[in-house]
Amino acid sequence: MKKFFIIFGIIIVALIIILAGGPLFVVQEGRQAVIIRFGKIIRVETDAGLKVKTPFVDRVRKYTKRIQSWDGEAQRLPTAENQFIWVDTTARWLINDAKKFYESVQTVEQAHSRLDDVIDSEVRKIISRNSLREAVRDSNVINAIERRDVYQTTTTEEESVEMPVSLTMYTETKYEDIEKGRSELSDEMLAEAKKVTPQYGITLIDIVVRQIKYSDDLTESVYNRMIKERNQIAQAFRSDGEGKKAVWVGKMEKERRSIQSGAYREAESIKGEADARAAAIYAEAYRKNPEFYAFWKSVESYRKMLPKFNKTLTTEPDYFNYLYNFQGRR
Amino acid sequence: MPNAQKRQAQRFGTRTIVTVLIFIVILFVLLSSVYIVDQTEQAVVLRFGRYARLSEPGLHFKMFFPIERKYKVPTQVVLKEEFGFRTERAGVATIYSALDFPDESVMLTGDLNIVDVEWIIQYRIVDPMKWLFKVEDQRKTIKDISQSIINLLVGDRAIFDVIGAEREMIQMQGQRMMNELFDKYELGIRVTTVKLQNIVPPKGAVQNAFEDVNKAIQDRSRLINEGKQAYNEAIPKAKGEAERVIQDAEGYAVERVNRAEGDVARFLNVLEEFNRNPQVTRTRLYYEMFEEVFLEGEKTDLIDKNLKNFVPFKSLGEGRTGGAQ
Repeated sequence: MKKFFIIFGIIIVALIIILAGGPLFVVQEGRQAVIIRFGKIIRVETDAGLKVKTPFVDRVRKYTKRIQSWDGEAQRLPTAENQFIWVDTTARWLINDAKKFYESVQTVEQAHSRLDDVIDSEVRKIISRNSLREAVRDSNVINAIERRDVYQTTTTEEESVEMPVSLTMYTETKYEDIEKGRSELSDEMLAEAKKVTPQYGITLIDIVVRQIKYSDDLTESVYNRMIKERNQIAQAFRSDGEGKKAVWVGKMEKERRSIQSGAYREAESIKGEADARAAAIYAEAYRKNPEFYAFWKSVESYRKMLPKFNKTLTTEPDYFNYLYNFQGRR
Repeated sequence: MPNAQKRQAQRFGTRTIVTVLIFIVILFVLLSSVYIVDQTEQAVVLRFGRYARLSEPGLHFKMFFPIERKYKVPTQVVLKEEFGFRTERAGVATIYSALDFPDESVMLTGDLNIVDVEWIIQYRIVDPMKWLFKVEDQRKTIKDISQSIINLLVGDRAIFDVIGAEREMIQMQGQRMMNELFDKYELGIRVTTVKLQNIVPPKGAVQNAFEDVNKAIQDRSRLINEGKQAYNEAIPKAKGEAERVIQDAEGYAVERVNRAEGDVARFLNVLEEFNRNPQVTRTRLYYEMFEEVFLEGEKTDLIDKNLKNFVPFKSLGEGRTGGAQ
């Protein structure tokens, strides 16, 4: 029993010694190790696993093999047309040559600072060489997009109200074509930066623009432009509404007049026809004895008209034929 | 060894110390060789830092600590990143952080306008090995790439495309491009959803101007409806009135003809009588008329027809002559 305890104790002590500075070390997945003997690199371990070194003589420096992010400060840069924009870029890189990396930069912090220098200057160079739209846009898809009913103006069920003509300028605008676009600019930055990084044992995988913003003073003027543009659009809609309303009112006026005059025409012709028929009826009857008609009409007319006059009679009318002469006036 | 410690060791005995040591070691070995993988997870086991095996959910054993290590990865869980906003506490009524994140959400559009875009992505870890050992700062990488891609896609379109019809397109293309890049980095994830949440013009005056356009559209509908209403009000009324005028005319026509026929009928009857006795009828009609005309109303002055140059005294005064009746 005592023997067992002694053996066990020895094992534990041995283990501790091995772990402390012994000949074994572990390289984990995603990592690599540089083995340095008396300040000189003798070996690079890139595969994971249990490795051997000379105890107390070899020093092990471990680096990651994984892809790392580089995140620069956003820079305020002028474009080719001298407009200032904030450009925020990030990059991904990895240590592909641990030996060189150890020789030239040693630490990841150092590497970042080198990358700062390289990438920032490339970004500045490329951005200032190109126009703003090359940096903002990536392709000419903006001109390929079909814009229909941008404002969703189909309000009524029975008819879709068309967009005001004055607004088609906003939907049919052709934007200037770009030649490169953001991806290509990124690629250009990468291609340039890539030339420098191998000396640090670093491979740059990509540089991407994370965000582009206007500088503050530019933002203000862009806001104003946007507001103006919206105001114009709003105005166009309102004017269009007024116009369409006027059209309806005009249409109403026209139809009302046409209805009224049509009715007048019809009414008058009906009346005319009736007048004609009445005339025919009268003529047909009165033709039978015009002389009697004249007498009859006179009598009827006197009956109607005479009560309206102030009257002073002479004895001239035939009525008085028998007044002075019982045989009647001759 | 100092005397005090020697005495202590003698009191407890080497045996006791060794027993405790053994106990601790055994406990450590046991604890580090048993592990449970949850249903939502997988675990990668490394032996001396080298990939050994992948453990599915359940109870597992491995060699104790320095020899084998395990890394659990939530492969079944859908993970989420938010851009431009943060969920403070999810729930029935989710609380969002009151803060804005303009550094993520403010973008330039292709027509050089400014727009504020909030979006989320959802992803799952599909390859735990790659997830763990291929890329550092996985979340930061995911965020950076997602942000740059959405920026790029928004920058490629006009502002009203982004706000309106192209939203779907951006989501689809964004998801595809993100997956392509993450595959290139061997990040071991799959983006399952890219969803644009809130796409608005910059807050304040600009947003108000955009709102005003919507109001203008409403105004326009209102004006058009007003026009229609006026039309609908006036035209049926005019039609009714027209109908009335025509009906009126028709009434007139019927009346006119009827009257004519009545007049004629009367005339013809009288004419018939007249033809039978011309002289008598003529005289009768004449005297009847005369009576009727002069019977009514004021008395009539009568003057002999032989009085020449008679000045009617009516104009001289109010006196009356009896006349010669």
